[in-house]
Amino acid sequence: MSFDINFIGILIGAVMASSVPLILAACGELITERSGVLNLGVEGMMIIGAISGFALMVVTDNLFLAVIGSMLSGLIISIIFALLTQSLLTNHVATGLALTIFGIGMSAMIGKNFVGIPGKEFPLLFVDLKESVPFLGPIFFGHSIILYFAFLLPFLTNYFLKNTKLGLIVRAVGDSPTSASNQGINVLLVRYSCILYGGAMCGLAGAYLSLIYTPQWIENMTGGRGWIALALVVFATWSPIKVLIGALIFGGITILQLHMQAVGLRIPVQLLSALPYIMTIIVLVVISRDSRKIKLNTPTSLGQIFYKEK
Amino acid sequence: MNTKLIISKISKIYPGCIANDKVSLEFGSGKIYALLGENGAGKSTLVKILSGVVKPDEGEVFLNNENIKLNSPLDAKKNNIGMVFQHFNLFETLSVFENLSIDSSKKNEELRLQVNDILKKYNFKIDLDIPVLNLSAGQKQKVEIIRCLIRNPKVLIMDEPTSVLTEQETDDLFVSLKKFSQEGILIIYITHKLKEVLSLCDEVAVMRKGKVVSVSSTNEEKIESLANKMVGENLSTIKKKINNFKNSEEILKISNLNFISDDPYETNLINLNFSLKKGECLGIAGISGNGQSELFQILSGEIITESTSIMFRQKEISKLNPRERREYLMAFSPEDRISQAAVPELKIYENVALNNFKSSNFFEKGLVNEKKIKEHSKKILSNFSVNTDNVELKSQFLSGGNLQKLIIGRELITSPELLVCFNPTWGLDVGAINYIHETLININEQGKSSIVISTDNDELLRLSDRICVIYKGKLSKIMDASTVTPEKLGILMGGGSID
Repeated sequence: MSFDINFIGILIGAVMASSVPLILAACGELITERSGVLNLGVEGMMIIGAISGFALMVVTDNLFLAVIGSMLSGLIISIIFALLTQSLLTNHVATGLALTIFGIGMSAMIGKNFVGIPGKEFPLLFVDLKESVPFLGPIFFGHSIILYFAFLLPFLTNYFLKNTKLGLIVRAVGDSPTSASNQGINVLLVRYSCILYGGAMCGLAGAYLSLIYTPQWIENMTGGRGWIALALVVFATWSPIKVLIGALIFGGITILQLHMQAVGLRIPVQLLSALPYIMTIIVLVVISRDSRKIKLNTPTSLGQIFYKEK
Repeated sequence: MNTKLIISKISKIYPGCIANDKVSLEFGSGKIYALLGENGAGKSTLVKILSGVVKPDEGEVFLNNENIKLNSPLDAKKNNIGMVFQHFNLFETLSVFENLSIDSSKKNEELRLQVNDILKKYNFKIDLDIPVLNLSAGQKQKVEIIRCLIRNPKVLIMDEPTSVLTEQETDDLFVSLKKFSQEGILIIYITHKLKEVLSLCDEVAVMRKGKVVSVSSTNEEKIESLANKMVGENLSTIKKKINNFKNSEEILKISNLNFISDDPYETNLINLNFSLKKGECLGIAGISGNGQSELFQILSGEIITESTSIMFRQKEISKLNPRERREYLMAFSPEDRISQAAVPELKIYENVALNNFKSSNFFEKGLVNEKKIKEHSKKILSNFSVNTDNVELKSQFLSGGNLQKLIIGRELITSPELLVCFNPTWGLDVGAINYIHETLININEQGKSSIVISTDNDELLRLSDRICVIYKGKLSKIMDASTVTPEKLGILMGGGSID
């Protein structure tokens, strides 16, 4: 029996690990969207983070620098988006799509020389406890610091939005940038900051993939996770805690259906592969169906171009 | 605390229009000043300059003999100039308290105490912890006022504050404003409503086409003299209705209208019954939020209720949607011109096409016949004196008055038998109001019926043949308009009875 229980623990640990990039990217995008900016470039920023993190690791042989570098590169590429949408008033949707396409192409170009190079082992915390404590060990211990951060992030984000002055200002800008500007809030500064923060978190999400989850560089290795993160934000109705739940369900069913495929159930593989997407959407729609709450959580000015009266 | 505010030679030029042309004015505390003018006279630009939202091209502002630079809203706040905008500057999804705390440097507990003091002092009743979108317009305005009061303003500017208020709310506002004035706050009151100027203000400056045309004390003025200064010509008085259809047939009969809403912020309607004759206008008075918008939506078919019976021209139409009801020659003009009646981002002719799916050959085999729609739209623009002939113009660039003329025109050009309108003239200037009123009187004289739901009693007394009052979802007895006085309406609107 102890084998079974440990196996479930390991399974849960694996689910947690697979949901980390979704949580990081979605929490970053959530802040961006709460300020009224719709950045569809999540996938692009993630993959740039993934390649720059990996490349830095190979070049400097320093994981700390690699992680910081991936965040910086996500941030830098989001500056392009911020400049275009906030200062040059381009359309959010088109610019975000362009950013994703740009990111995927750029990462493939940089990544050419890094294909096939093995990654470096990322330090894991509390490895002893993972081995010694049955069931709970593999759930709570033996993870990277980034995983612990990712699981803390939704709560921090929630606290930031609900309980801090800055969070209030972000929500106010997302509700009505014109009113905010008339109240003397620097809308551009707030939106720039939120976009850059979102970029950094997407970069970190990418680095988690290329440095920890599957430590190597593979072209297009984000594999649509950026889009899932985007969808999570919307279906979780801009609530960080629901983003966490959604990410876990998605990760959980992804792993579960892999096992089901391995067992050889008589269900078409395509259907099993589609299962995580379908289930995540169903669950999030069900837990978020309070229309009043949706109205209160949705950033009213999402995707709208703001320009100041002169 | 003596405050003196001097505006010196302020000019602001927008492409194609001089909004302010060397405007100079002087204000001193202890008085309430009216800034009067029609829509587009430049009042709003001037107050936006005073609140730091818009920068003037020329001119200076002096507060207590000190030249102040108003480059941003923060500068206005620093100089204790408070501003309540016509279109509220609130964050709808945030709570009242969050709206107040966002630009305050105080601690939350301290601020809450201060706000509670203000609520008590001026007898405002507002729940601080519900989202602003659940407040009535009057309450939202109070939140804006509180936001100014928190900062101990020297100057308080109110931009057309009563355009969204009921009569009762307006009275309350005036009481508060007089109190503020006694406490030494300089009040600048922007309006185009002449009555308010005379009843509230001490001095009045009239603006026309960006210039100040007169400054005087209100005791020297009358409604007529102010109106003529404001419009710049002698206004014609509106004609009286001739009722040719006293004993005509019944065209509409509503019975058993009940509506129970799941949404706690909507009003339930309880057993409404009324009927309407050909050529008749039924006025429905009431303080906003007593079920008017629910009633309008049931009449227009936006809400379908189970029990209600609506007989229109001898047909039961209670289960039909708005489009089908239009085909039976009903027409509707909702309260909110921008979000309900028209799509502001669409061009004029596109908006015209929106409610005419069936009536003409606008659409052929699923394709849009632009030429026909444009011709039709041009006809509306000229028949209903909309101040443009460019059907390609986006509707959002029309002024409130012109947009309302377009909407009423769009509804009436198909010659409906019944027009239901909800606050048809709110926020409009005298010229536009008179025009809309004449149009509504004309359709009655042509034998068409109308229902006017309005919070403006003067409007109802002017237009209606019969009047009733809606209070908490119930209708009062329907009275002949000739027997109704504003006092009677006031009692019924407050939930009283007059028998």
